Amino acid sequence: MAPEALLSPLHRADGSATYTHNRYSILGAVNGPIEVQRRDEMPEEATIEVNVRPAVGVGSPKERHLETLLHSTLRSIILVRSIPRTLVQITLQIRSLPEEDAMLGVNTSLLILPHLLHTALLALLFSSVPLRAIVTSVLVAIPFTKGAGPLLAPSAKELMRAKPFKSIHVFAFSGDRKMLLNESDGVFGFEEWDEACEMAEEVCCKEEGGVGLGEGMEVDGQSATENLEQWLREVVKSKVEREQRWRVAT
Amino acid sequence: MSLPISIVLPGDKIPPDSLPKPQNKKKALTLGPGLRHIPPETIAASIAGALVTDNKKNAAWIEYNSGRYLPSTGDLIIATVHTSGGENFNCSITPNTPLAALPHLSFEGATRKTRPVLPPNSLVYTRILSASSAVAPELTCVDPSTGKSEGLGPLKGGMVFPISLGMARRLLAGRKGGVSVLEGLSEKMGFEVVVGRNGMLWVEAGSVKRTLAVGRAVQEVDEGGLGEKGQKKVVERVLKGI
Amino acid sequence: MPREAEISLNERAFIQQALQEDLRLDGRAFDAFRPLQLTFGDEYGVADVQLGKTRVIARVSVEVTTPPPERKFDGVFQIITEFSPMASPAFEIGRPTDAEVILSRILEKAIRRSNALDTESLCIIAGLKCFALRADVHIVDHDGGLIDASCIAVMAALQHFRRPDVIVEGERATVLSVREREPIPLSILHQPLCVTFSYFEDEDVFLVDANAAEEQVRQGEVIVTMNRHGEVCQIAKYGGATMDPLAILNCTNIALQKVRELSKFIQARLDEDAAKRNAGGLLAELSAENAR
Repeated sequence: MAPEALLSPLHRADGSATYTHNRYSILGAVNGPIEVQRRDEMPEEATIEVNVRPAVGVGSPKERHLETLLHSTLRSIILVRSIPRTLVQITLQIRSLPEEDAMLGVNTSLLILPHLLHTALLALLFSSVPLRAIVTSVLVAIPFTKGAGPLLAPSAKELMRAKPFKSIHVFAFSGDRKMLLNESDGVFGFEEWDEACEMAEEVCCKEEGGVGLGEGMEVDGQSATENLEQWLREVVKSKVEREQRWRVAT
Repeated sequence: MSLPISIVLPGDKIPPDSLPKPQNKKKALTLGPGLRHIPPETIAASIAGALVTDNKKNAAWIEYNSGRYLPSTGDLIIATVHTSGGENFNCSITPNTPLAALPHLSFEGATRKTRPVLPPNSLVYTRILSASSAVAPELTCVDPSTGKSEGLGPLKGGMVFPISLGMARRLLAGRKGGVSVLEGLSEKMGFEVVVGRNGMLWVEAGSVKRTLAVGRAVQEVDEGGLGEKGQKKVVERVLKGI
Repeated sequence: MPREAEISLNERAFIQQALQEDLRLDGRAFDAFRPLQLTFGDEYGVADVQLGKTRVIARVSVEVTTPPPERKFDGVFQIITEFSPMASPAFEIGRPTDAEVILSRILEKAIRRSNALDTESLCIIAGLKCFALRADVHIVDHDGGLIDASCIAVMAALQHFRRPDVIVEGERATVLSVREREPIPLSILHQPLCVTFSYFEDEDVFLVDANAAEEQVRQGEVIVTMNRHGEVCQIAKYGGATMDPLAILNCTNIALQKVRELSKFIQARLDEDAAKRNAGGLLAELSAENAR
């Protein structure tokens, strides 16, 4: 199942998106480039502020941790040097989580990380902040059960069925296949990690004309998702079509 | 007009055969918003949108219609006076961005003794004299070569209506922009409009009702992405109501 | 500290002139609300309210805690409001603006202190265990009318919410998960809703549901909270303008009519949502409540 994206649901923000995937629903908004406070100003770069707001309650160390991860990843894709002494403010409001999220017995901040990254990217794309590249991200979970292959971008239900897990990994790649982020949790060897990494890269940025969809990517008998980059392209296409519809309208 | 739209994402390298093919080989390639040159000869997109090329001007740019207005030299905008300093009016172009300077003397016929008085929150139609990422933008209300105002200056009365950045570009692009609603309305009623590239439309049509009708008609065309026929319908409806 | 942009002089004069001619910018009547949309999430207790361009998300959640010693027989209920920087860069997290303080104060008075929720029903074992209910209000898009929209969101979320069932055996309480037993709706005593009137002194006009531009021009506001039975929960007046007491009485009359319409709307949306959830008619069989 490809993620669902709703474009520009908010009126005030410079760019916004609602993102829903595997029953994770997040609202993201970007304001920028705007005036930065003196204490945060950097002479040659834009300041990036990431706020993750949980669905319930105020932020906790978990959200702070996610903010740090998102900040460093997004900083590397935003062309910070082309908009110096400004602020790009990214706010991500978690709207709902699958109810299984807390029951999996794994590091829950990893489960939501790819979704947060995608939401932030969509909001950034619609705010027209200059970017160096796009970023796509995916979760890979390796269960304890012998013989069961790694799960690729599993839904919370699938995770529930396959638990417990040996390790879970989040990978993020830029459009030019460079790894931007890797967070892993659990016990794993290099081979396992390497396999997970390759799978993730495949989903994130497999080039057209490479391995066909469904070939060699069959996970647990389920045909794999489409390439995330293609999905992103479709989303942008629908945005452009909406903006340009006056050209074809009668 | 239907264009084969080619969608680009940030980081996409623009292949040489997608770049404009100029008739005049000597003309240097111009890169517009959303494209950047990575030496030696890579051209990559930095904004998601549609790639547009112009063979005559040997230019390429990304067309997009979302996000915040970024000041660029030569643009006509509607600025809001924030405060008046010693030499300049400090004006805001978009909310929460650094203020731009509009010198007191950059109005037609202004001297030290006869400079205009603009209280905070008044609107001025100005041109961006210079804009860069290094310094705050500078504004002017006169044409530097002639010293004439060319229609620029404080806006009195009327009402501003927020419009999308794309709509502002279309309104200023003339026939190519495909906006006929104002022309249609002007056949039956008189009004004055000013289009700011920063997504503002100022309208003064004599009465509240007429001003509102004009402003809302443009907003409707903008939001609905209306074509020629749709705009005609809007014009008919608006004129009937007045 | 970033500040909210002020409205231009031209817009201010135009809005006032329009009001003198009995016109609003969006063509609404003086006592009309903007189009209202209310959607519920997959989970219980999430209400997403869109009032024109204003958008508020309210979310009700529950956990088990020890009740405060001075209120042994009550549960805990709190409303937490938060202006997100999404709505405007002028909103900073952890630094409430005046508007935010007023909003949370009004919601506190309107919903919590008017006893809209029967907090005694949240008690599990007196003095030992109770439910702590919290309503998080996230303002994500701001075009005026925040108080009215937030109140609708909180009340709708409370009515939509289901708390887990508990079994009490002596001093032991077991909270049953949603899978084990159908959760229980909250006991709501009445449904207060807010209607904000913006007052323009020079034109002597009261506007219902002003948008952000109108809010910047107004000289005063009256917030009337009442339920559909016409019981006034609170009236607050802000801004320096003086008002005629009779005009305020008139406001309450209009408010009653608006509150009745809003209550009906919320109920209709709740019924729709319930029908959607109860697609197979399974819910009635699973219900743990006995019809008393």
